[in-house]
Amino acid sequence: MPESRSHTRTETRQASQLQLEDAWRVVVLNDPVNLMSYVVMVFKKVLGFDETKARRHMLEVHEQGRSVVWTGVRETAEAHVFSLQQWHLTAVLEPDEAR
Amino acid sequence: MKRVEVKLSLPVVAPLLDVIRELSCDLEKNLAAPQALHDLDPEFRGAWIGELLAGQNDDLRALLALFGGEFFSEGIVAFDETNAEPIVRACTAVRLHLRERRLKSLSDESLETGDIDMDGLDEITRKAFMCYLFLATVQELIIQHLDSSIIGS
Repeated sequence: MPESRSHTRTETRQASQLQLEDAWRVVVLNDPVNLMSYVVMVFKKVLGFDETKARRHMLEVHEQGRSVVWTGVRETAEAHVFSLQQWHLTAVLEPDEAR
Repeated sequence: MKRVEVKLSLPVVAPLLDVIRELSCDLEKNLAAPQALHDLDPEFRGAWIGELLAGQNDDLRALLALFGGEFFSEGIVAFDETNAEPIVRACTAVRLHLRERRLKSLSDESLETGDIDMDGLDEITRKAFMCYLFLATVQELIIQHLDSSIIGS
């Protein structure tokens, strides 16, 4: 029994550590250059958003200076940040502390 | 294949090409939008930036190729599914660089609204701002006409 409990505790710790490590946010920051229509198009293309969602996030970037456009595992978050940067949007990776 | 041809005014656009070429040269080794990559492993960061730069240079070549023989003989440029995406991105790269290098004297608000007294600008800034507006127009044209069929998701 003790051995089993210890094993469970280790697994729990590893799982929560992994969960923390895996929770990342892709954040897009505002810039004064990119056209609104361009940002909407990039969100649709890179993140697969529909028109309404893309416009909502674009307006959030425009009005609040930033928008969290994706949350999830680090590897996918990095891929999204890279793609957004290819389109010259200012995109950063942040640990998702809420999770 | 969907193709959009646009007839441009040669006397207006040709002088702007010098600005685009000059900035494109400058962008060969610099990212148009420097990114905060401090969260990445240093070795990975180098590869990351290298790949972004290579893509940026490919895009800029596509933009410059737009202004070839057909443009100088008839003033026509054509967008299709092969060049639309790289050109839209390249326009952004040059616009970002124009802001950094030539339009620092203009406020971000003025750049966003376009509310600028052209007569009050010196020659270099006026040309840079015209180039900035021209590239935005090219982007709008491509997004409007090719978005759903070519660029859209």
